[in-house]
Amino acid sequence: MTQDSRIIAGVYHLSKEFGRHFSLKDVSLQVSNGEIVFLVGPSGAGKSTLLKMIYMDDLPASGQVVVGPYVSSNMKRKTIPDLRRKMGIIFQDFRLLEDRNVFENVALAMKVTGMRMGEIKSRMTEILTRVGLYHKRYEYPRTMSGGEQQRVAIARAVANRPSILLADEPTGNLDPVATKNILELLFKINAGGTAVLMATHDINLVRSFGQRIIYLEAGSIVRDSEKIFVGDIRDRIEKSSVSESAERLAGHEITGEDEE
Amino acid sequence: MKLNEMKYILDESVSMLWRRKAANLISVIIMGLSLLILIVFLMVTLNITGFIDKTSKETRMYVYLNDGVSESDSRDIQLKLLSETGVEEVVFISREEAMEDFRETLGENNELLDALDFNPLPDSYRLKLKEGFVTSAIMKAISERVESWEGIEEVRFGKRWFEKGEKLVRNFFIIDIVLGLIVFLSVVFVISNTVRLTISNSRETIDILKLVGATNKYIEIPFMIEGAMQGVVSSLLAVGLLGVIHWFARGYIQDLVFIRLDAIALFVFLCALLGAVGSFAALRRFLKS
Ligand SMILES: Nc1ncnc2c1ncn2[C@@H]1O[C@H](COP(=O)(O)OP(=O)(O)O)[C@@H](O)[C@H]1O
Ligand SMILES: [Mg+2]
Repeated sequence: MTQDSRIIAGVYHLSKEFGRHFSLKDVSLQVSNGEIVFLVGPSGAGKSTLLKMIYMDDLPASGQVVVGPYVSSNMKRKTIPDLRRKMGIIFQDFRLLEDRNVFENVALAMKVTGMRMGEIKSRMTEILTRVGLYHKRYEYPRTMSGGEQQRVAIARAVANRPSILLADEPTGNLDPVATKNILELLFKINAGGTAVLMATHDINLVRSFGQRIIYLEAGSIVRDSEKIFVGDIRDRIEKSSVSESAERLAGHEITGEDEE
Repeated sequence: MKLNEMKYILDESVSMLWRRKAANLISVIIMGLSLLILIVFLMVTLNITGFIDKTSKETRMYVYLNDGVSESDSRDIQLKLLSETGVEEVVFISREEAMEDFRETLGENNELLDALDFNPLPDSYRLKLKEGFVTSAIMKAISERVESWEGIEEVRFGKRWFEKGEKLVRNFFIIDIVLGLIVFLSVVFVISNTVRLTISNSRETIDILKLVGATNKYIEIPFMIEGAMQGVVSSLLAVGLLGVIHWFARGYIQDLVFIRLDAIALFVFLCALLGAVGSFAALRRFLKS
């Protein structure tokens, strides 16, 4: 399967059952080069599972996932590392190596590609400056705030200059200030040309950006803000639990302590 | 593989050993102690089989001749004995030599013999059997046959003692093999569990390595080197402790044999291999999931 070269990642009629109670049902979406897209849905909707399919930690039972030149249906175990080097992935829990400092954590992504140390060092300066952590390059994750740790994770994710960054609830563990910083950083990275696909359960966090939002609910895409739906989609959305939780959340003030 | 990659993999291996020195130390002690049980068992087996072997090699049959057998008849008997299957060597012991030996055996008390004014001992032949023929059944058959010849007084080989010994040896080997198997399987079990624990303690590290696009090789080699190092250090620890045990035991059993140097080298090598392959197998199962 080939896709339009302007599309960096595409999911086509993906279906798969996970256990008895959850399945992804005929999911299709496309992310263009340089685009920023939010994947929104309540907890348990399948956002993490769908992202997993995109970084091909799991393969579809039917349908296809295409990322750049990599197609899920003829993916081999050996080519997975190649795919991972061309995409950045960040999570709610940062996933840093606790026994390595910032430099070593970020360098790891470049080392696995066999990059020369000289090149790693010069890129490191650039990347760590971009995320504002150059002065903390010899610190260990446990001594840093959540927001800083997520910035380290972002630095690692973009180290190999990926064309797409997947972010699974990247602000889920962060206070409002850190959340704002991370979102700004993601936009900055996006402005540099990297496509971003970010999953979140919190619609209020992203609705004001005026960017494309894909709504996922119980394993199905119920709305893609760029697509024109046939039928009275508005009615469906209003009845869906996404909008319910959105309404609920809208009434809440975000509280939390400032970081740093 | 790129040269840089190779270098990073080796760096990674060294730093992994260093970062996890405490956990590795514990693993090495657990593995070393279980290996010690195995090699203590091996040393005991080695010494017992060595003793059995030596005893069987030193076993002789004695063919006593009647009084007054002529020299030529005696020669014929010697030739006939030599042609018996399983006989390796036939040595003539004259009654005078036998008396000398007897005197020597008695030592201080040999004046008693001076009271004798004749030599009561007969001429005899001492038979040495070929390897593999030193069994009570064969010796019994030979002695029965030979005793029926003209000029033979009797054939002796310590039959009763020998039969008991044989039974003991048979039981020993059965127990030894069963016990050895149990010890061996336990050691393999302990080691593979220790290795698996090492790997599952590194679950997060492995996941992160996969996430950033490390190849299986990049993930596997450091763990295999770590496994091999654990194998080498723990087996050397076991050998060292065995040395200490051997040193103490020598106080009670003088000719206690230690495991040969080439066998030790092989043991260390096999432990290194087991460590590396064990890590690899545990990782493979892990990486597939
Ligand atoms: N391998 C699996 N087997 C069974 N159920 C699974 C499996 N993986 C995920 N699930 C279930 O799928 C649902 C969606 O999970 P997830 O993708 O984490 O949702 P989200 O990220 O939107 O909160 C959950 O109910 C989860 O329990
Ligand atoms: Mg999730």
